[in-house]
Amino acid sequence: MNAIPDGRAREAAVLAQGVSRWFTDTRRQRHQDGSDAPAGPRRVVALDRVSLEVQPGELFGLLGPNGAGKSTLIKILSTLLLPSEGTVRVAGYDVVRQAHQVRRRINMVSGGETVGYGILTVRETLWMFSQFYGLANGPALKMIDEYLETFGLADNAHTRVNKLSTGMRQKMNFIRGLLNDPDVLFLDEPTLGLDVQTARIIRDFIRDWMRRRPGRTVLLTTHYMAEAEELCDRIAIIDRGRILACDTPDGLKRRVQSHSVFRIEAARLDAPPEADGRWPGIERISWEPHPATGRTRITVIAADDAAVTPLLADLRERGADIIHLSKVEPTLEDVFLQVVGRGLGEHSGA
Amino acid sequence: MAVRMRLRAFRLAAWLGWQMESNWTDPWLFAVYSIIKPVSSALILVVMYYVVTGGQTQGDLFAGLYVGNAFFMYVGQLMFGMSWVVMEDREFFRTFKYMYLAAPSIYWYLTGRAVAKFLVTSLAVAVVLGFGTAFLDLPLALGAVRWGYLAAVLALGILACVAFGLLMAGIMVISARHGQGYAESFAGVLYLLCGVVFPLDVLPAPLQPVGRAIPFTYWIEGVRRALMGRGMSPSLAGVDDGAILAILLLSSLATLAVAVLFYAWMERIARDRGLIDQVTEH
Amino acid sequence: MLEELERNLRAVRARAYVRVVGTFRELSWVAFEIAMPLLSVGAYVFLYRALGAPERYIGYVLLGGAMTAYWLNVLWSMASQFYWEKQSGQLEIFFITPVSRMSILAGMAAGGMFMSTARALGTLVLGSWLFGVQYRMEGIWAGLGIFLLTLAALYGLGMVGASLFMMYGREAWHTANLLQEPIYLLSGFYFPVRALPRWLAAAAGIIPITLGLDAIRQVVFPGAVDGLLDPGLEAALLAVSCAAYFVLAHAALRKLEDLAKREGRLTLRWQ
Ligand SMILES: Nc1ncnc2c1ncn2[C@@H]1O[C@H](COP(=O)(O)OP(=O)(O)OP(=O)(O)O)[C@@H](O)[C@H]1O
Ligand SMILES: [Mg+2]
Repeated sequence: MNAIPDGRAREAAVLAQGVSRWFTDTRRQRHQDGSDAPAGPRRVVALDRVSLEVQPGELFGLLGPNGAGKSTLIKILSTLLLPSEGTVRVAGYDVVRQAHQVRRRINMVSGGETVGYGILTVRETLWMFSQFYGLANGPALKMIDEYLETFGLADNAHTRVNKLSTGMRQKMNFIRGLLNDPDVLFLDEPTLGLDVQTARIIRDFIRDWMRRRPGRTVLLTTHYMAEAEELCDRIAIIDRGRILACDTPDGLKRRVQSHSVFRIEAARLDAPPEADGRWPGIERISWEPHPATGRTRITVIAADDAAVTPLLADLRERGADIIHLSKVEPTLEDVFLQVVGRGLGEHSGA
Repeated sequence: MAVRMRLRAFRLAAWLGWQMESNWTDPWLFAVYSIIKPVSSALILVVMYYVVTGGQTQGDLFAGLYVGNAFFMYVGQLMFGMSWVVMEDREFFRTFKYMYLAAPSIYWYLTGRAVAKFLVTSLAVAVVLGFGTAFLDLPLALGAVRWGYLAAVLALGILACVAFGLLMAGIMVISARHGQGYAESFAGVLYLLCGVVFPLDVLPAPLQPVGRAIPFTYWIEGVRRALMGRGMSPSLAGVDDGAILAILLLSSLATLAVAVLFYAWMERIARDRGLIDQVTEH
Repeated sequence: MLEELERNLRAVRARAYVRVVGTFRELSWVAFEIAMPLLSVGAYVFLYRALGAPERYIGYVLLGGAMTAYWLNVLWSMASQFYWEKQSGQLEIFFITPVSRMSILAGMAAGGMFMSTARALGTLVLGSWLFGVQYRMEGIWAGLGIFLLTLAALYGLGMVGASLFMMYGREAWHTANLLQEPIYLLSGFYFPVRALPRWLAAAAGIIPITLGLDAIRQVVFPGAVDGLLDPGLEAALLAVSCAAYFVLAHAALRKLEDLAKREGRLTLRWQ
């Protein structure tokens, strides 16, 4: 049952040290105000000195908003992109110099992606990919049929890929990621765009798979808090290319446990006021307007309960109605707010 | 109102087509692109002619085939251009379905996308004719050209090109990716049947009536008469200039009508089978 | 070692399977792929007839027309395929698998070869029958040998092309499109390449089809005295270029994949 090759038992499944990645945009930037652009290419930093260690058997989550650098990191780990600096080892091998060894032991699934040739059926497509891992026909087809059964795709085994619904296609893609029984499986937002039930099937499967195959590692990115909280043994919060915190879900929550977290729902609040140091004792505050209802959901992390009073007065003064106010148990969402400084649903208007 | 909407779709499509034709690289490469390809294909014919005749380029046959080949570029380019729009929008940009939702008339959209191709091809035709005059003794004198007749013939010929382009687009709507070669193959067949590079009379007897039923036969012959004062096919010598124009007009309009109906029919099939947004790479 | 080989062979077969199955599931190609190319080559046949060319020129044209099937397959169904697969997100999936990129390309080539051969045979057999082309029967086997050599070298060249498509995407596509007619001209698809200036014909020899066509024409058509070089020498040159292209392809695929990974272009779409 030992999935880790002998002599590597103590190696981390994923080991990233000081990994940065930048992209140079060689196209000239045209400024909107028509001002002179400084000559030379623009550099986008997608990852900034990221270090990370994931042990075999761990289900590790990367949590971060759009553009945080999650997919970039996954691409580097799965040998599709080279780091600009730093070293990365996956399953005990260097992703730059030993890509071939790494590829034999990993697989990757990106959510929301179309794979496969429209002309083939589901079963044929999966068979095709199994061949790229050198599986013999008989066992490969047997495994494929079992997985199709598990994911409720058995009825569609002979449907052409271009006739599948998005969710079915994603399930197929997920099965593809399991075909070589990888030591390390990278999942880049595996439940993107799936309905609640399908997402549940996938999540349950991941947990079950980890349980049945000790020593297998999953590295998952998501921006669904609940998914990260439910699945992951450990979570790294990543924003603008930097890892800001890395701990177990409980460990992360403990960071805000000494604080008071309030949720406020306000109506007729036209524009959120500038926050900086305006209300002493309030450490973080996030504003999520819901244009449909005209209400704003406000999350407050404060040093103590009393600190919220001046804020409420201030809001009323601006003509806002406080519909609802409650003190809540901190969730990962609040941890995110505490660590990153803004809510996951807020824009990163740097 | 409806007309304004159609014109707007046409204008938008023309703009889009121009962006795609010209955007991929700088103007210099763009020019090379529209010179090298057409001059090379013309040179294939020239070398074939040289090999057999041993270096002669005088004579009606050479001038006739050279001019015929030059103008036939419009047929190939517009047919390919209009049908390729379907493939490219559908499989590459995945926008074909949105065009269906947004454009008031798909016919005007497809035709509009061909405008850029028309302009680029016009440049190529001019370059090929100039090249022939400068280096290959092509007997072409601007003073002797019958410009009015040329304009009339050219306009009708382009109409026929658009009609055939629409036909190909219709086929593309129900075909998979590898259908991208169909337009080119079909243009090749027209190249054979319409006496573009040899007199119609050289075709086997059963094929000659087929050639005579296609507008391009008269178009190419008309262009030759306008540019050089005489045609190439003895069997069309009896048809006077006015008759060429009349036959061209009628056959182009008939083709256009057939093409519009055909496209509508193919579109119905595509919607019935859910092919409007298919992606078929393999 | 053996495991590595097996995996790569399986990959070749699987990728070829997609092509073959795809072909059979879209049977509409038959008419287009077989009849249409023949008809368009027909125009050149009648041009030669109109000019009163020697009969063997008809054979030259048919052979050239048949070769276009392979040329088109290499260029548009193999070399440029990495570009399409990048657009559809497929390339990433292939590239995280532990198989050689050359195996994937070889699979595409093998699968596409099937259709190309149908097309080439259609042109050659039907055309020869329709236009009454004469062959030198004793040269057929030698011709077939040279043809296979040409094909191997051509597919090697196509793999080099694939590396360029992988890296440069749309630009490579436009360049290949740009070169299509010049190559028809320079490789002598429709006339004996000796008709071109010598230095130009020699330069065109880097495209395997130039030498291949010239050699095959010399051995299979009676009275073909208009070759560029001795067919034996041309076959030897083809063998050398075949080896060279495969070595080059191996190196180029590796080098450009590395470069693409460095610049982040491997996973960049819509470029
Ligand atoms: N090939 C590339 N060229 C240039 N910039 C890139 C490239 N790939 C990613 N980037 C940039 O790197 C940053 C991080 O992108 P990345 O895709 O890793 O984010 P992400 O965390 O996966 O976001 P999302 O949740 O939206 O998927 C972004 O600013 C993005 O624009
Ligand atoms: Mg992402």
